Amino acid sequence: MFILAIIGYTFLAIYEFIPLYKQKLWHDFWANAVLGISSFTIAILLCLNVEIPSPEKPIRELIISIFGK
Amino acid sequence: MQKEQITDKEAICLLIVFVIGSSLIVGVGGEVNNDAWIAGIVGCIMAIPMLLVFSRILSLFQGKDLFDILNIALGKVIGRIVAIIYIWYAFHLGALVLRNFGEFIKIVAMPETPMFVSLLCLGLVCIIAVRLGIEVLGRTTTYFLPILFFTLVVVELLAIPQLHLDYIKPILGNGLISVLKGGFSTFSFPFAETVLFIGVFGSLKTKKSPFKVYYWGILISAIIIIITTIRNIAVLGNMMDSFYFPSYAAVGRIKIGDFLERIEVSVAIVFVFGVFVKSSICLLVACKGIGKMFNLKDYRSIVIQTGLLMIYFSYTVFDNSMEMKYWAFKVYPFYAFPFQVILPIIIWISAEIKARKNKMTI
Repeated sequence: MFILAIIGYTFLAIYEFIPLYKQKLWHDFWANAVLGISSFTIAILLCLNVEIPSPEKPIRELIISIFGK
Repeated sequence: MQKEQITDKEAICLLIVFVIGSSLIVGVGGEVNNDAWIAGIVGCIMAIPMLLVFSRILSLFQGKDLFDILNIALGKVIGRIVAIIYIWYAFHLGALVLRNFGEFIKIVAMPETPMFVSLLCLGLVCIIAVRLGIEVLGRTTTYFLPILFFTLVVVELLAIPQLHLDYIKPILGNGLISVLKGGFSTFSFPFAETVLFIGVFGSLKTKKSPFKVYYWGILISAIIIIITTIRNIAVLGNMMDSFYFPSYAAVGRIKIGDFLERIEVSVAIVFVFGVFVKSSICLLVACKGIGKMFNLKDYRSIVIQTGLLMIYFSYTVFDNSMEMKYWAFKVYPFYAFPFQVILPIIIWISAEIKARKNKMTI
């Protein structure tokens, strides 16, 4: 899975980043790069079976603390 | 960014499929059992004033979408903060809808397959649809909606032998308060979720359109939801609350002779297409918002990465189906209230003031 994710993201980088770089669309390039790095990191963490914290629990607890069950 | 335009008909179709999308299968009304259909009506009535607000905001700034309006009405700094809030809401809602689909496939169709596979498959289709743009999404929905209507009507007719209309009684047996709570739940999921269409209807062709589109869209989808809820109650009775997907369970009871049975797949068709449209709209609004925030040339350049993030988020958002159901009926109405009611009212008031000031200076 780990290798699959790396291969997938390599293809994505070729498909998305190179055209943006060539067209010199720097805003698009950097926004895409930040989103791409975050999504790649999460993909790798998921492949390594790392539990990613969900915001659902704190939101639920906050709402229960305000409005009750 | 190039200007995309959709016709009123396409917009109404998008709105109908967006509203009936996940609510048809997950059900509406929370835990009011056989009064869920009344909760549906109450929710629809509660949504009418908010629809007026949404359409008024759109008609004040014709041709502008949510993020342009935020910039004009609230100024650059506050506008950006509220834009971030709406980007989060669109992203989160898209992930929740994808998760509904993942749970549905996991529970009823492919229990052995990892949920990530089904999420990735649908998520990729949504990414492609959003990259193609709102025009393609609108046209696709217009072609598919008659098929969905046909499926729904045929299934309703086939369910007639299984109906026990006495299950609907006692009407208001749980008391008025629980029906109002159910109505509030129905208001927030699915009717007031249409707030996200402020981010899409900047592409409408005529100035009068937002009112017309919102009202026809909500009216038709409310009728479909109420009829389906009545069918579910009349087939399943008080057991309705014990199912994660009541429509699927209700249609599973249909048996005509010895040859026409197990037609649950018809429900799945409607659900899959509804989830596809709803997630795509959420992804589109999130990407448009990010695009406007960072002055991108085209929102399409970030669709793939945002879509992948949405898929990962939907995978990690809940631990199990119980949490999903609890969230949908108990937590979500309160969580969504600021996005669906408070912020739109603030935007509307600021937009009215801004529009009047502009008129006076002219």
